[in-house]
Amino acid sequence: MKLSLCTLFYLIFIYISIPGFIYAEDKSSETIDFDFEIPEVEKKPYSFNAEFKISETIKGFDEDSLLFQQRYPNGNDDDTFYQTDLNLKVEGSYQVSIVKLYARLNGDLYYNDDEDWENDRRTEEAYISFLPGPSITLDAGKKVLKWGKGYAWNPTAFFSRPKDIEDPDATLEGYYVVTGDLIKSMDGVLKTIALTPVILPVSRHINDEWGMERDTIWGGKIYFFAFDTDLDIMFLSGEEVEDRFGIDFSKNISANFEIHGEAAIVLDHVKYITDQQGNLTEKKYDAINFLLGIRYLTSHDTTYIFEYFRNGQGYSSDEMEDYFTLIEDGYQDYISSGSMADLGTSRQYGSQFYNQQTVMKDYLYLKVSQKEPFDILYFTPSVVCIYNINDKSGSITPQITYTPITNLELELKATFLLGKDYTEFGEKLNDYKVYAAVKYYF
Amino acid sequence: MKKILLIVFMSLCISAPAFALDGNEMLKKVDRNLNPESYEMYRKLIDIEPDGSKKEFVMYAVKKDKEKMASVFLSPASEKGRSTLRIGENMWLYIPNVGKPIRITSLQSVTGGVFNNSDIMRLDYSLEYNCEKVEATDKGHILHLKAKTNTVAYDRLKMWVYGKRLLPDKIECFASSGMLIKTIYYKKVKDFGGGIVRPAVIETDSPLYKGYKSIMIFAKVKAKDLPDEVFTLNYMSKVEGLRQ
Repeated sequence: MKLSLCTLFYLIFIYISIPGFIYAEDKSSETIDFDFEIPEVEKKPYSFNAEFKISETIKGFDEDSLLFQQRYPNGNDDDTFYQTDLNLKVEGSYQVSIVKLYARLNGDLYYNDDEDWENDRRTEEAYISFLPGPSITLDAGKKVLKWGKGYAWNPTAFFSRPKDIEDPDATLEGYYVVTGDLIKSMDGVLKTIALTPVILPVSRHINDEWGMERDTIWGGKIYFFAFDTDLDIMFLSGEEVEDRFGIDFSKNISANFEIHGEAAIVLDHVKYITDQQGNLTEKKYDAINFLLGIRYLTSHDTTYIFEYFRNGQGYSSDEMEDYFTLIEDGYQDYISSGSMADLGTSRQYGSQFYNQQTVMKDYLYLKVSQKEPFDILYFTPSVVCIYNINDKSGSITPQITYTPITNLELELKATFLLGKDYTEFGEKLNDYKVYAAVKYYF
Repeated sequence: MKKILLIVFMSLCISAPAFALDGNEMLKKVDRNLNPESYEMYRKLIDIEPDGSKKEFVMYAVKKDKEKMASVFLSPASEKGRSTLRIGENMWLYIPNVGKPIRITSLQSVTGGVFNNSDIMRLDYSLEYNCEKVEATDKGHILHLKAKTNTVAYDRLKMWVYGKRLLPDKIECFASSGMLIKTIYYKKVKDFGGGIVRPAVIETDSPLYKGYKSIMIFAKVKAKDLPDEVFTLNYMSKVEGLRQ
């Protein structure tokens, strides 16, 4: 059933992807009647938007990898994992005078062999805004605050959940905050200064990802626009959290060449490190994270995004080797004695600390995309490479997006993981992943 | 008699520069005839493919002074809420899903298709170009324009300006290599009220996209006073709120 669904999915994709197939009628542009009416000029107090997506994900298990052995110590009947997702994202707003309500809901219904049919629903954003004038705004509720200039990583995004490095543009779920903007524009060298204060309350009922104790986290960002450069300075502070300070910038060196960077220091960061026997130790230190990147557009409409990320909170090669040894020894124990003790410990550490994206210290990210090659409008092929400098492992993802019809977007990508034993990408659960999606906006 | 002829000749020679066409002044008049310095407007962008299929986008845009412009897409649903900001040669794009402004370049295209960001967020021609030569024709003039800096999307423009109103009729856009990138045609002069009489339709074709055509239709162009704070990164997600 899954194979036939998958085949059908690809046939639809290929069929729609061939330009001209569905528009076979020959029409000269001179004969087209233009609609000179623009109904959208009439403003309505409400707006509603939705996005429906059907996607199929296929992962090829790497049965020799340590994370496969950690998760499936008894092996798995299938060497391939299939998941079908039906996703609906709905957003709406309503404005009366200076008060605006906004909400974005995300619901996912998915099927895979491990879990059968499951669903996941969440309110990504829901807040009220007071908009007395362009220079002042006040927001209260669940809101996403995306700070930083990096594309793949944002070490200064203090109030955000981590991005999915495989889909950095995906929407995120916000936190409950009170925030706002105070903006002042000026003539002269300093053209804009904007202040964004943030208050994030923590309790057992809201924002419990930040801790279970009642706390108030304070933060803020000051933005400057001067010398054609964007500059932000930001901070976050609270009783129960690690205080952090950051700075970011972005500037166009020329019309087609942009540079950006971010740096953050996390004070008294606590890193949990396991040894080969599963003994957990704490290491407290001031962690420095930073990112440098460029965007470059060639005369042939090829865009390069290249970034280097230093993750000061990440693990060194030696620390990761200890973790991998713990899994391997635990697996051997299980095979020889049936004891799950060490493997269970490694699973616990994996879910809490180690089995995350960008878990080590130094990474490179490269995305090369070509706008509309072969005169095919709205067609963008691209390739994404992620490279772990510390253990020389990585991934490569060729992908295409195509929007042949207004509001219909097709996406196809394949990710191949490359790395030797005891490396981050070499030991992941799967060694390839294919993802196809059809997205419709209305 | 000779003295009279000499005086007439000399006076003609002296007065000639006063009648000479100042291309840059003419360009400034073209700018003001196209729109007030600060204004709001709606635009429909239509991309037409060789097979006749169309894609339409509707934008609301505001401009202030010489170098500030902001716009937001109202439709289609896939683009709704995308806003752009331009301050001089600095351009940013805000995508609601991404949730933060990113810097873009003038040659990129927010929508795909033949229009690029520079076309969509166009500032006054006189801000970006110097007129090097004015050529008189039967119907009007041809202005030969050269970009003031290398950050401008097109290195040279050839602008046909016709009629008493000094409105452009056609513009050819060239790369620094001399290659023709696109041709812009101004059509259907319309009275928008408030003294604004300008072409309501801009049509574009490009030898780089053979058979493709783009149309831009203007509506509700009117002068508007706007605070400077509207043209900031923090305000990009709220541009649509300026509509009345």
